[in-house]
Amino acid sequence: MPPEGATPPVAIAGLTYAFGEGELRRPVLRDVSLQIRAGEIVLLTGPSGSGKTTLLTLIGALRAMQEGRCTVLGQELLGATEDQRVLLRRRIGFIFQQHNLLGFLTARQNVAMSLELDPRTTEAERLARAGALLEAVGLADRADALPSKLSGGQRQRVAVARALAGSPGLILADEPTAALDRVSGQEVVHLLRDLARSRGVPILLVTHDPRILDIADRIIEMEDGRILSGAPVD
Amino acid sequence: MNELRRLELPAEVQAPRPPRLVNLLLPARLAWRQLRAERARLWTAIAGVMFACVLVFMQLGFRAALFDSATALPQAMHGELFLINPLTTAMFRPEQFPRVRAFQTLADPDVAQAVPIYLSFGTWRNPVTGVRRTIQLVGFDTATGAVVFPGLEAVIEALKRPDTIAFDRKSRPEFGPVPQLLAERGPFEVQIADRRLELVGLIDIGPSFGADGNAVMTETNFRRIVTQRKASNTDLVALRLHPGVDIPTVAARLRQLLPADVAVLTYDELVAWERNYWETATPIGFIFMFGSLMGLVVGMVIVYQILFSDIASHIPEYATLKAMGYAHAYLRRAVMSAALLLAVLGFIPGILTSIGLYQVVAQATFLPLEMDPERGMMVFGMIFAMCAGAGLLAVRKLRDANPADMF
Ligand SMILES: Nc1ncnc2c1ncn2[C@@H]1O[C@H](COP(=O)(O)OP(=O)(O)O)[C@@H](O)[C@H]1O
Ligand SMILES: [Mg+2]
Repeated sequence: MPPEGATPPVAIAGLTYAFGEGELRRPVLRDVSLQIRAGEIVLLTGPSGSGKTTLLTLIGALRAMQEGRCTVLGQELLGATEDQRVLLRRRIGFIFQQHNLLGFLTARQNVAMSLELDPRTTEAERLARAGALLEAVGLADRADALPSKLSGGQRQRVAVARALAGSPGLILADEPTAALDRVSGQEVVHLLRDLARSRGVPILLVTHDPRILDIADRIIEMEDGRILSGAPVD
Repeated sequence: MNELRRLELPAEVQAPRPPRLVNLLLPARLAWRQLRAERARLWTAIAGVMFACVLVFMQLGFRAALFDSATALPQAMHGELFLINPLTTAMFRPEQFPRVRAFQTLADPDVAQAVPIYLSFGTWRNPVTGVRRTIQLVGFDTATGAVVFPGLEAVIEALKRPDTIAFDRKSRPEFGPVPQLLAERGPFEVQIADRRLELVGLIDIGPSFGADGNAVMTETNFRRIVTQRKASNTDLVALRLHPGVDIPTVAARLRQLLPADVAVLTYDELVAWERNYWETATPIGFIFMFGSLMGLVVGMVIVYQILFSDIASHIPEYATLKAMGYAHAYLRRAVMSAALLLAVLGFIPGILTSIGLYQVVAQATFLPLEMDPERGMMVFGMIFAMCAGAGLLAVRKLRDANPADMF
């Protein structure tokens, strides 16, 4: 645990966000405040349309902020430039509902893609590190397979390896199990939790799936753009 | 822990660096891997570029060959300076000027010889079929050695006899198998402008737009064939200067010396004068430029289509890359790399095919089609620009890859 008073990886205060202009303007997030501490695994649940994905895209610097404060890994996002946001994204691991692996690259090359942005690495280092991460997600023997030759669960595990490869300071995942069956879904999130825990990386994970709530340190519920509760899980 | 190291790095440390080689090589590698994955698409694109390449090479080849052959007559002449009437547009339609201008130039100490050249047309009768065809007649004092067409030296003595001509070996085949007849029979009788003449030898000039064939003879024999013209006028004067003199200086002095009814041209200027007529006063140049442009447009559309559909079918993946921290500029570089890779991959088979086609066409048309490195470079530049243009158009599609839509 970091010392008291150190900036947490994610600190949000009074965040308000609306889609549309003028007459069509519809608020989606209202006065959201939230903190994620170092190494913490937070699950975000709530009915469809409550604004979970929007919140995630704002934290992930995929969308420009409108109002409020949101500091992620030391970067204030209100008024951040496109370049600042691109740089911040490199320090965040994303896992999507769809794996979105590049079909023309092998599993290993896909994972190495998240390391190519760091000019200090050599090609050999990148491939070795990608191989090590694929081993960590149990795919050492499939490292040179194309995504089309992998099962859905395996693909999502490659996506987990890719999200972790760049040694991110934060992992954001949006319904990573939605496209998977129960067993592979469980496998993937437990893998994600174990790897993140061993590296001390905090996770913010949006899910509808009641079967994976057990991985959380804290579950936050959203409704209609507001946060209802943030009870820690025992 | 090692993995945590980057967490603590302040953002400034990772600020964007100026583009380095890696920043070009990695997107290029990504582009190549993507191109390679879709073989059918790749071959279509290569075929498109190759097609454009061959089309442009053929157009430029024909253009150069035609202009080269259009200037065959002035090119075959040897002389440091030339006098022509400024109103002359092309050799097949010369404006006459007083022959005395030739002798006036001899006042300049650097001018060694001044040879008037007489140009006209006559009707040649094919010695085998009897079909008639117009031939360019070139008359001058062949014995001076001032104007040397290849092969002329061997026939200078024979040409001194009355009513003799030397025939241009490169004349179009419609004039008859003259070289073959000459080899079989020796000098034989031919007919030009209803006059019987003795064909005594062969020289090399080459056909042009203006003339399908040429016959060379002495001034005296020229006058026997072409009777309707003023004896004191000539069409062109070739000047030989003493070795080692500065040609432009002499030209400047002669311009001072001579009245405005003649222009003083260097050899290059004379060739350019003739070429300029065919380039500007005829639609030939435009036709070939248009043909080249069409090839480039078609090639560009094909490459654009391929790049566009490649991007369109990878929007989620590109958006994911953006979410991972890849800048828009990186993906743009990847698309541009793909475009330029296609330029190279299409150009190589394109130039090889063109070299082969040049040979085929040269044999069929007698036009001097040849691949020269300069044209190769120029066409590569055009193909490169074509693909770059297609890339720039296709890059706009990348805007659709929005990482915020990914969750
Ligand atoms: N790009 C968008 N433009 C306009 N409205 C949007 C857009 N994305 C989401 N919304 C709206 O914002 C609300 C919150 O959506 P979202 O954040 O996706 O909710 P959740 O992930 O909790 O289902 C929904 O009513 C949705 O229709
Ligand atoms: Mg959602």
